[in-house]
Amino acid sequence: MDRVTFGRIIKGGFVNFFRNGVVSLATVLVISLTMFMLGSVLVGGIFLNGVISNLEEKVDITAYFKLDTDERDILEVKSNLEKLPDVKGVVFVSRDEALNKFLERHKGDELYMKTIEIVGDNPFPASLEIQAVDPSRFEAISVFLESGRFQNLIDEKSPGIKNISYRLNQSVIDRLSVILRTIKLVGFGISLILALIALMVAYNTVRLAIYSSKDEISVMQLVGASRSFIRGPFLVEGVIHGVISALFTIVAFYPLLLWAGKRTAGIFGGIDIYGYYVSYIWQISFILLLVGIAIGVLSSALAMRRYLKV
Amino acid sequence: MIYFDNVSKVYSPTSIALEDVSFSIAPKEFVSIVGRSGAGKSTLLKLLLAEESPSSGSVFFESHNIHKLSRKELPFLRRKMGVVFQDYRLLPHRTAYENVAFALEAAGKSEDDIAHDVQQVLELVGLMDKAWHFPHELSGGEKQRAAIARALVVAPEVVIADEPTGNLDPMNTWEIVRLLEKINDLGTTVILATHDKEIINYLKRRVLTIEKGKLVRDEAEGRYVL
Repeated sequence: MDRVTFGRIIKGGFVNFFRNGVVSLATVLVISLTMFMLGSVLVGGIFLNGVISNLEEKVDITAYFKLDTDERDILEVKSNLEKLPDVKGVVFVSRDEALNKFLERHKGDELYMKTIEIVGDNPFPASLEIQAVDPSRFEAISVFLESGRFQNLIDEKSPGIKNISYRLNQSVIDRLSVILRTIKLVGFGISLILALIALMVAYNTVRLAIYSSKDEISVMQLVGASRSFIRGPFLVEGVIHGVISALFTIVAFYPLLLWAGKRTAGIFGGIDIYGYYVSYIWQISFILLLVGIAIGVLSSALAMRRYLKV
Repeated sequence: MIYFDNVSKVYSPTSIALEDVSFSIAPKEFVSIVGRSGAGKSTLLKLLLAEESPSSGSVFFESHNIHKLSRKELPFLRRKMGVVFQDYRLLPHRTAYENVAFALEAAGKSEDDIAHDVQQVLELVGLMDKAWHFPHELSGGEKQRAAIARALVVAPEVVIADEPTGNLDPMNTWEIVRLLEKINDLGTTVILATHDKEIINYLKRRVLTIEKGKLVRDEAEGRYVL
């Protein structure tokens, strides 16, 4: 194909796009909707993944030490724990840090501040936050703490019961984790079906737009236009539809994710999806552009096949 | 130049459009094909344009069996034929000028050639003043003149007109007929399908009469007899 013909095909695509204003607008909107669905599936998946892994990190064991325990002893426990194959990591939280965390969390809350003042001394014990390789290994770790030579260092909630906190919330977290995974799976399935439906609607919109040109297509063939010369402008139009839809979708995600990010960050303390979106904007834009162009061009190409028979 | 060899077109056993039709057309001839609606005139032209394939027999254009041409070769054949339809079939989103230019663009002609040729044929059909109007802004006669300009601009060897005056008033009908005569005088073969008795009797050219899918008469200076 020579340059003149190529230029004519490109120009033809733009001319078609603008002269079929209403149809073009409808097509762009439908493709945008499709991409919006696909984008939501992606972002939703990333968000839920973030929440689940965040939650799993929360499922750790916190062992509180008696107030008078020497820091060196605690650090020894820490290094011993780190040698265990079941342990992923151990973080030491000193008494001062625990107090600071508490003050930070309840900043501006008169009642708590007063309570701390009245108590006078730092009431918080030092602790070790232990992350297991796998939540199912908690038992082994806690047995190690409760029965080893360190057992006397660990604070007791009531006589005989060690203050090791995973017991308090493990079952809740386990159940939540199962629920979230189910939501993720079901949500993903439903969104995928919705996205597929949207994709088919997009294809059908393009097909209808081309159907309305089917007489034109046959006339073009009868006056001696080759198949590629007829198909070209429709494919160019598909690219234009895709690019505009992608830009539209990228812009539309900003306010939506800003809102969703504000809402969800507070609930789970998980990742900030708006921040995520903004920091990955180039990669996301690239993917959306690619998807948009693919939807536009493939729909056009598939729909054209039917009408190029004469 | 054009040769129909025992051509039949059967859509279904109860719907036989053409039956064993054979004839040939020489260069620079003006041939009218007459017959009632549904006699098979349009089918015959569709076969010639390779819009449809025959059930049996073959159609030759300059020694090429046109139904044996590949998809790639077909556009080149069609650039040797100019087609005019009863319903004009202009591209609705293009101006008269662009409609005429389209055939040349498709053939890969340069912009300068296109500008020159399009202007020439638009002047020939008398549509220069409406060149930048869209089809919906043109009258029936103007649309048909634009369509004829489109058929002519590729300098075809044959112009095929399928009931070109079917939707026109008598004034426009005669303008179109005279235009076709002029085209023929300039050396282009013209095939005109019509059921307009007055046109046939006026032309006094070769007439092929089709009745129920069969070629029943082929007269060198025919009159409309049905």
